Order: sequence, then structure tokens, then C-alpha cells
Amino acid sequence: MTPTQLSIRNLLLIATFAPLVSSMIVILLTRRVLYKAAGWLTFVVMGGAFACAAYAAIQWIGLPVADRLPIVTDVPWIPLAGNTAAGEARWLYLGIMVDGLTIVMMTMVTFIAMLVHLYSIGYMEGDKRYNRFFAYLSLFTFSMLGIVIANSIIMLFVFWELVGLTSYLLIGFWFEKRGPQLACKKAFVMNRVGDMGYLIGFGILFYHLGANVLLPATAQDGNMFAAVVRRLHELDPNFSILNPPIWLTAAGIGIFFGAIGKSAQFPLHTWLPDAMEGPTPVSSIVHSATMVAAGVYLTARIYPILTPGAHLFVATVGLITLVIAACMALVMTDIKRVLAYSTISQLGYMILGLGVGSWTFALYHLITHAFFKCCLFQCSGSVIHAAHHQQDMRYYGGLGKKMPITMTCYFICTLAISGASIPMTDWGISGFYSKDGILAGAVNHGDALGVLLGPLAKLYFWLPMGVAFLTVFYMTRSFALTFLGKPRDQHLYDHAHEAPWQMVLPQIALAILAIASAPFIMPFWQNLINESRSLMWDSGVHWVQPGVDHEMGHGIHYVHKWLGYGVGWIAMLVLGIAIYAPGLKTASRIVRIPGIGVIHNWLVNKLYFDAFYDVFLVHAGKTVAYICSWVDKTIVDGLVNLAGWVTRAFAVVSGGVDNKLVDGAVNGAALAVQNGGNVLRATQPGRIRVYVLVFFLSATLVTLAVLAVVLSLR
Amino acid sequence: MTHPIAQIGLMHFLIVSFLLFGAGVATILTKRNAIGILIGVELVLNAAAINFVAFNRFGWSGTGGEHATPLIHGQMFSIFIIVLAAAEAAVALAIFLNYYNTFSSIDVEAADEMKG
Repeated sequence: MTPTQLSIRNLLLIATFAPLVSSMIVILLTRRVLYKAAGWLTFVVMGGAFACAAYAAIQWIGLPVADRLPIVTDVPWIPLAGNTAAGEARWLYLGIMVDGLTIVMMTMVTFIAMLVHLYSIGYMEGDKRYNRFFAYLSLFTFSMLGIVIANSIIMLFVFWELVGLTSYLLIGFWFEKRGPQLACKKAFVMNRVGDMGYLIGFGILFYHLGANVLLPATAQDGNMFAAVVRRLHELDPNFSILNPPIWLTAAGIGIFFGAIGKSAQFPLHTWLPDAMEGPTPVSSIVHSATMVAAGVYLTARIYPILTPGAHLFVATVGLITLVIAACMALVMTDIKRVLAYSTISQLGYMILGLGVGSWTFALYHLITHAFFKCCLFQCSGSVIHAAHHQQDMRYYGGLGKKMPITMTCYFICTLAISGASIPMTDWGISGFYSKDGILAGAVNHGDALGVLLGPLAKLYFWLPMGVAFLTVFYMTRSFALTFLGKPRDQHLYDHAHEAPWQMVLPQIALAILAIASAPFIMPFWQNLINESRSLMWDSGVHWVQPGVDHEMGHGIHYVHKWLGYGVGWIAMLVLGIAIYAPGLKTASRIVRIPGIGVIHNWLVNKLYFDAFYDVFLVHAGKTVAYICSWVDKTIVDGLVNLAGWVTRAFAVVSGGVDNKLVDGAVNGAALAVQNGGNVLRATQPGRIRVYVLVFFLSATLVTLAVLAVVLSLR
Repeated sequence: MTHPIAQIGLMHFLIVSFLLFGAGVATILTKRNAIGILIGVELVLNAAAINFVAFNRFGWSGTGGEHATPLIHGQMFSIFIIVLAAAEAAVALAIFLNYYNTFSSIDVEAADEMKG
């Protein structure tokens, strides 16, 4: 390992563990001393972590391209039974793996986390568990960084579960209220469902590959799952990509279920909108840099073991998710829920991108989305902060006059998530490039899909394309309802004001990045992600059809010109403002049209997913439990009670016999003796003269009797 | 005409003894005084002793004649009875002393604690 690689590794280790240390300090030491300073302390530590990550990134970019191999460090952790053929003991390894993707993710996560910490200092001011919030937030960041830097499947899973735990703590932060209690439980349980899939997938891999799946990545492999595939090739030289074993498809889909849970994909998407009950900074970080991004990151990492069948599954899940979430976002009235469904939809894009082989752009969309979605949530947090914690957009309106900076940031990010571009040119802001890349990948993948699906394959391009316009519309809707038009709640309007600088500053920084991340920073990021992919491809791991990885070269200039995308988004923007800026009248008139009314009703009820789960999982579960309880109480307890009753009856009979007969005999004997004694005691007066009289009388009688006998014998 | 003394036979002794015995028993049964009862007991004992002596004087071993010899045992029994009476009087007086210490009386009616 060269000095530069060593330095990069150490910097990233520091960046990973710094939030853990500050979190522990805050939770253990700051009960009184550092209570108020907890926010600043964790913020400064996060800033230091970002500085480390950024410096590591600079050093990485400074390396010659040929030297940018993964930096891998392994520490044997737990010994396993058995030995390899080489005679060395098998181990579970702890360790880190750094490649281009890791560098990008580390920089992005630490940066966003730093800004969210700063934002929280303003937002959580006066909260009674102020210090604990920052401890949880830092711990959450640490967990995410652990996922990013992990070098084996098991270690990744450890941090995966840590993210689940800390998100539970954060979503349920205001646990006095009913909403957060339910939301954090829901998030936790639904994530467990996904993690079950992860474990099953891992179990299948472990069964077929043995301890090989526990081995960490090597510098040549690209990543931990690429290592698994390389060993697959080594174990079976005849292994063919065109005819992969079914268990590998199952394992890939199983592990992908972990991502479905964490990234809130269909059908486990219902927890994310409910997670809006948590504090807004939590939503901000969950939706941009950490938890939901972890699912996409995992899917990107498991890419080498995804067979064509698994790819189709991934793409289909992404497709369904992005469509239904965007539709639901159209009708939500809670500002944070609109953003939540928007996040789910955008994650659907990323998953679709991975499914159709647009690996680089899916991850690139993850990065750009992190900035503008984080900014959108922070803006919504500022609005909520200003509006007495009223989250319903129907009570907003005209807030732009009171909060010009927030409005500007929100608008910029609305453009960014919409993929705004100048019509008929190649110029746009960040979301445009990343989303365009995904769509281009979908087009390029069309041939491969066409073989499997026939005409249906076209949907994998046209639906995301249409949803891209829906995205513009629902984001414009939320923007117009909140910031434009006339105030619909005068009291709320009068109270509104611009947020404190700790909240405004991160918004501005993120809004700038939402614009700048594409043309200026994009080449670095894109190249780094692409290097990571190339390494994987070069290690002999490409399962998707050849030609898909050419989307880098051709696709990007292809889609938007062809479709007049630029004109389309402007039309949707204008339409959204025209309908919603005046207020809700036009919208309610549209809803009254019969066909639309029904659809609207379905969407408002979130397509009845929650009701479905309630009926078929919760109530079905309760019914089964009720039946079990009935069997238990009636039959099992009945038998036990019957046995008890019989025993009791026997005891009563036996007791009767004992009390009446046995005791009766004993008592009767005693009574007879007593009565006899009472009779006899009359003969024992205790007076000596009576005894003497009796003696003489009886002596006389005996004498007379003897005499009579003697005389009669004569 | 024999000497009047010679006319006194066994039956006379037995009558005296019987009267003496009856007087003793009557004394025992009627007296409440413990000393009185003791005296009654003495009378009964003496009645028994008179009987022994009388049966000894008028009872002979063998069938009669010159070889007939009087039985000496009756006198010996009398001597024993006298000794016994003396001992009995000593023991009884000791009992009565304790009796008096316990009940502050020598009325035997007072002691019915041993009734059944």
C-alpha cells in the first residue's frame, strides 16, 4: 500500500468513526455540561469528517488512473469452523474497501450530514431532548458511513441493521405523540421484512458457495459481490452467464429485498411517507444521503450477482414504484408527504436505472438527488417552522413574500428534480443529466427486454418518461400552493418569517450544489462512479447484455432531443402554476370530473396499500392469533381444566370417605371411650369413705356369695 | 357345772370380734375426722387379731385326743398385726400431717381431688 493509499484509508476511517465518537460523547457526557453545545459539537465533528473525506477524495483524484484500485484492509474478526484447502483458517473479516463509488458516497454523505447538523441546530432549538437528537443523528450518520465503507457482506449487514435501529430512534424521536410511535414501529418492522430477504439471499449464497461469500473484496475484484462472482467462476469454469443457476437469481432477488425495504420500494414503500412524523431534519437526511440511499447503494454493490432474471425483477420493482409513488404525490396535501412520495418515485428511477444496466447514472442520480431533495426538505422544514408546525399546504399560500430565500431555494430544487433543461440543447441542471442517463439506459436496454417481454418492454422507457412530466407537475403544485398566490390562512401568514441563519445557510449551499453539481462537479463524480463500474466489468463480471454499458457514450444526447423534453417540462411547470397558484378552486373543479374523481379518491387513499396490509396482514394475523388463542383457551385449557375437575371430584369423594368414615371411626371410638369414662367417673368420687363403703359392701357380697355356693354344695 | 369361764366358746369370741369389726367399719364410714378413721382401722385390725387368737385357741391340729396340739400360728399373726398396726399408725399419721399441711384440715371430705 502506497503512502497515498494509506493516507486515504486513514482519512476515511477517521471520517467514519468521528460521528460515532461525538455521538458517544454527547450521549454520555452532555447531560448538563454540554447540553446546549451538543449541536455545535456534533456539527464541528461532522465538519471535520467532511474535511477528511473531501481531502481523501482530492488525494484519490490525484492518483494516476491506473493506481485507483480499491484500497482494501482486512482484519480477521471471528474464526469459523473448518479450513480451506490451503490450510488457513477461515475468518469473518472486518475491514474497509475504498473505490471510486466509496469516495463519492463518503464525500456526499459527510457533506449532507454536516449541513443537516447545522440545520438542526436551528430547527431543534428549545427541544427538551436537544442533545439526544444530535447523538442519534451522528450515530445515524456513522451507520451509513459504515455501510458505504464495509468490505464484506456480513459487515455491511451489521451497519445495515444499525441504520435500521437509528432510523427507528430518529423517526420516533417525539415519542410522546401517537403518530411518531406508530411511524417508527412501521419503519422498523417493514425494514425487518426486507432484511429477512437479505438474510435469505445471503443464506442461499452461503449454502452454494460456503465460506467464500464471507471473504472480503480484494484490490482486483471491484467490490465484495464481484469477489463472490469471481469465486463462482473459479469453482465452476463452465459457469455461463447465459444460463445462470436459478439459485443465483433467487439469491440476488433475496438480497435486493433488503434494498426494497430500506429504499422504500414497492411493495414495502408505505413506511416512508409515515416516517414524515419524525423531525424534519431527520426526513431531510433519511431521504437524501443515508437510509434510502443505502438500498440503492446495496443494489449497486450486488450488481455482479444479479442475473438477467434478477435484473428484470429489479427493473420492474423500480418501474412500479416510480409510477405509483408519483401518482400519489399528485394528490397529497401534506407538504412533507409530497416530498416523501417524490423521494420514493426518484428512488424508483434509481432502481430502474440499476435494473436496466444504467449503473453509473443510477448512482449519479443518487448523488444529485441527495442535494436537491435534502434542500427541498430543509425548505419545507423552514416553512413548517415558520407556520406553527402546520404541514398542510391548503393552509399555506403566498408565503414567498415572507420567505424569499426559502422560496428561491425551493424553486431551484424544483427545477433540479424536474430535470430542467434548455429545450433542444444539452444544457440543464443536475437532475436533467442524471435522469436522462437512466432513461437512456432504459432505451438501450430495450432490445434485451424485448427478447424477454415483447411489446411490454416499451413500458420500461415510456412510463418513466411520462412520470418525469408528472414529477414536474407535482413539484410545481407544492411550490405554487406554498409560496404563490394569496394567503389562505391569514393568522399563519402573519406569523411566518424567514428561518434563522443556521437553517437558511444549508439551504443556500444545497441549492447552489443542486445547480452546480451537474456541469462543474459532474465530470469528477461521474468518472469516479464509472471507474468503480469499469473495475467491476473488467474483473469479468457483466451479466447484463452487452451494449447496455454503452449508454454513457450515446444515450445522453439522445432522449431529450428526440422527445422535446425541454418543451414538455416547461409546459408542465406553467400548467402547475396556472392551476395551483390561484388556490384550490381550479383543482377542485378538475376533481369533480367523474372519471378523475374516482382516480383522485384512489390516490388520496394511497391506492389502499395500507388498507390492504391492514386487512390481509394485520387483521389476518390477528385472526390467526385469535384462532390459536381460542384453541388454546378452549381445547388445551379445557383439557387441563377437565383433568383438574376430575381430580377435584376424586378429592371430594376421597375427602368425604376420610372425614366421615375413617375419622368417624376414630372419633366414634374416642367418643365411646369418653362417654364410658363419664359413666365410670361417677364411681370415682375421690372420697375415701365411699371407697371404704364400697369395699365393705362388695366384700360382704362376695362373702355371702361364697357362703351361698359353699352351702349349696353341701 | 363347769366354770363359767369354761363355758365361753369360740362363738363368743367371734361375736366380740364381729361387734368390734362392725364398730370399726362404722367408725371408718361415719367419721370425717381422719384420726377417727385411723382409730376405726385399729378396731378392725384388732377384730381380726381377736379372730386369729380365738381360732388358734379353739382350733386343734389332728383329730383330737392327747396327741392333739394347738396351732401356734394364730398368735404369730396377731403379733404381726400389732406390729403392722403400729407401723400403719406411724405412716398414716405422717400422711395426715401432710394432708393437714395441704388442706389446712383433717376432714377427709375436703380431699376429693382424685375423683374421676
